[in-house]
Amino acid sequence: MLFKKEWTESVRSYKILWIPVVFILLGITQPVTSYYFADIIGQFGGLPEGAVMDIPIPTGAEVITATLGQFGQIGFLVLVLAYMGIVAKEKNHGTQILVLVKPVSYTNYLTAKWAHLLCISLGSYAMGYIAAVYYTFLLIEKMVIADLIYGGIIYGIWIAFVMTVILCLSALLNSTAFVAFAGLGLTVVLSLLSSLTPDLMTLSPAMLTSHSQNLYQTGQVGSGFGLNLAFTLVLIIGILIGTIYLFHKKEIAQHTT
Amino acid sequence: MNEAVNALQELNWGLIAPILLLQFILMIVALFDCLKNENLNGPKWLWILVILFINTLGPIVYFIFGRGNR
Repeated sequence: MLFKKEWTESVRSYKILWIPVVFILLGITQPVTSYYFADIIGQFGGLPEGAVMDIPIPTGAEVITATLGQFGQIGFLVLVLAYMGIVAKEKNHGTQILVLVKPVSYTNYLTAKWAHLLCISLGSYAMGYIAAVYYTFLLIEKMVIADLIYGGIIYGIWIAFVMTVILCLSALLNSTAFVAFAGLGLTVVLSLLSSLTPDLMTLSPAMLTSHSQNLYQTGQVGSGFGLNLAFTLVLIIGILIGTIYLFHKKEIAQHTT
Repeated sequence: MNEAVNALQELNWGLIAPILLLQFILMIVALFDCLKNENLNGPKWLWILVILFINTLGPIVYFIFGRGNR
């Protein structure tokens, strides 16, 4: 029931339309620009006469990795900005009190939002990813499909983690701007730390991105992958439960004072 | 100059068409919503200009920031 309400909300604000479109655009643009990269430089770069240009067309693995990088930057930005108010806005307008006076538990309220968030983000991501893979096959080279599917799922779990964090922040903070800032900041810090000091951060969810890259390039995940995956899944569930608990406590405190 | 024209003709338009189509869909939907929405953040004519003339990013920015609450 609540899950359905979230959908009507997304349909009414066109989120269900434009977020997938943005992801598909990102997914198509990356392979196409890398395919035409040499041409583009040739047309607009203004290289001196006689300069020998030999820019190799990148491998499929590089293109898919770059596309995931785009999803990780612009894609996250779009998702976070679109959903930073998922709980915080309703809290500020007081609409969630209308929902919560009915016999609806906090658990239902938050998990409905969580499920909806995951559906939209992972659905859009999957569409964009399929578009990127299709174009890479068409323009650059064929790759091992099993690797692509596993890599995509691994990256999807990282997205699920980020979305869970966004829900948590949105439930606990009042300012939507601060939700966006903290959420994006956290993903950037996690990704940076994981790429700078991979040895210390073997458990970090952001390491999943480098595991998926390994999979594309060598066909194998890096060491410590199983533990990393398990830890991330536990973290997602843990954050969700923690959010429900804290949200509950906070709301009760608010109503009694 | 001739080179540029040739390059344009060599481009495989079948590859570019989906990108243009998606951008177009985004623009049209944003435009329709903007025209009938009475509760915008900021003046309507400004948003219409943004949607029409800023490629891809314009409609996205409109969807995120332009639509008022409710």
